[in-house]
Amino acid sequence: MTDSQEYAAGESTDDPTTDDMAIETDVSDSVASSGATMRANTVVRAENVDVWYNDDQALQDISLEIPENQVTAMIGPSGCGKSTFLRCINRMNDLIDAARVEGDLYLRGKNVYDDDVDPVALRRRVGMVFQSPNPFPKSIYDNVAYGLKIQNKEGDYDDIVEQSLKRAALWDEVKDQLDQSGLDLSGGQQQRLCIARAIAPDPEVILMDEPASALDPVATSQIEDLIAELAEEYTVVIVTHNMQQAARISNKTAVFLTGGELVEFDDTEKIFENPESQRVEDYITGKFG
Amino acid sequence: MARTDYQSSLEELRDDVLYMSEVVAERLRTGLDALERKDERLARDVIEGDDEINEMYLELEGECVDLIALQQPVASDLRFIAASFKIITDLERIGDLAVNLGGYTLDAQRDLFPDVDMQLIGMTTLEMLEDAMDAYANEDVDACYAVADRDDEVDAMCEAASELVVRDLIESDYLEDELGDDAEIESLMQDVSRLLLTIRDLERVGDHAVNIAARTLYMAENDDELLY
Repeated sequence: MTDSQEYAAGESTDDPTTDDMAIETDVSDSVASSGATMRANTVVRAENVDVWYNDDQALQDISLEIPENQVTAMIGPSGCGKSTFLRCINRMNDLIDAARVEGDLYLRGKNVYDDDVDPVALRRRVGMVFQSPNPFPKSIYDNVAYGLKIQNKEGDYDDIVEQSLKRAALWDEVKDQLDQSGLDLSGGQQQRLCIARAIAPDPEVILMDEPASALDPVATSQIEDLIAELAEEYTVVIVTHNMQQAARISNKTAVFLTGGELVEFDDTEKIFENPESQRVEDYITGKFG
Repeated sequence: MARTDYQSSLEELRDDVLYMSEVVAERLRTGLDALERKDERLARDVIEGDDEINEMYLELEGECVDLIALQQPVASDLRFIAASFKIITDLERIGDLAVNLGGYTLDAQRDLFPDVDMQLIGMTTLEMLEDAMDAYANEDVDACYAVADRDDEVDAMCEAASELVVRDLIESDYLEDELGDDAEIESLMQDVSRLLLTIRDLERVGDHAVNIAARTLYMAENDDELLY
């Protein structure tokens, strides 16, 4: 990969300030070309995104802006497309042959579906945590350092591993056993290890797809606390089936309903106290779905 | 419809709150009748019935807490439960004020200031309570505002009644006619105090009816305009 390709994907320079400046330029270009206005703190912006799996449309005309350093929750019934949208942000849908994405999806003003964007570099900027903890069959240390090693990233790995584990609220529990296999940890610890692995490359956005659904209440509450702390440094987007979890931890909530339609996107308080849409009201109060 | 047990529980809560309001309204009416007729039996009925209202209040409070804890209500359901939780407090307080009317009836020694139309004030506040509860039952936003508007009428009647009592007390020959020994004066002053407290209590019934209307408006439209 050339430097220019890296730059295009926003990965790149060791100087984040320089990177941000480049991104600001992209924002201006994007706004000019689309005619849309973009709030200064918007990190991810979707414009008229459609997704198909073969002939089945999974998302319909999705437009929304995800704000920086906040937790944005995606809720909705099974099959409504919320996970599909999450996977559009870091182009995980590219891995599915039948998937086709149309529309525009910007990360800090740069369309991530532009031809010059390298998906691998994109995924370093947009980390992901999955439903089931999936540590590699390696040591705790290597799990966290894995992303750094495959990038041949320079730096003090020991320090990055320690800081990542601290940010993931796992350091105190594993600092004396970093050589132990990640698979020997409890489910909740494994998920926090995966979060440490996701944040080690210092991404801008962390996508979480049902990160606590396989965990017990104590581990769930630890993950929820951790998400709130992570939002101080990262932009977090979480898909959850648990509406109370969305209400507890998110600043913004997007409600997707059957057919891949984004029905309402607003402050979480507004969604859960007085939604505009009767369909959203019926869904969150359990009258259907 | 999903969550049928939950939906049934919400309907049950609404029915129970409305039933409590009917009992409270009946107690208020009885308290006013006791005052009007100086009927000690009616007065005792109101006083002795307060335990029943308090028990209803605690039971309904438990229903609200259970729904919040077990069902995690949101949106209109949450507003309905939150409003009901507050409304039962207002109803319980109105029950207490009805008890006060019973107590004043039992303690009054003499008829004072017949020009003060306590029944008109009392029936107006009773109507406000009934209108507020109808608004709650039907989620009637216009009725909420109408109850709030009527409070000015009650406040004016109460203020006029209080001024009438004080002015007559000062200007009339009432004191001179009644003046006897110290015990007689003290008894008269207690009756005057009870009369003023009755006016104040009825004015408070109106305030609680407005609170109910305000919570109902919040419940129906997420509108806190009438809350304070």
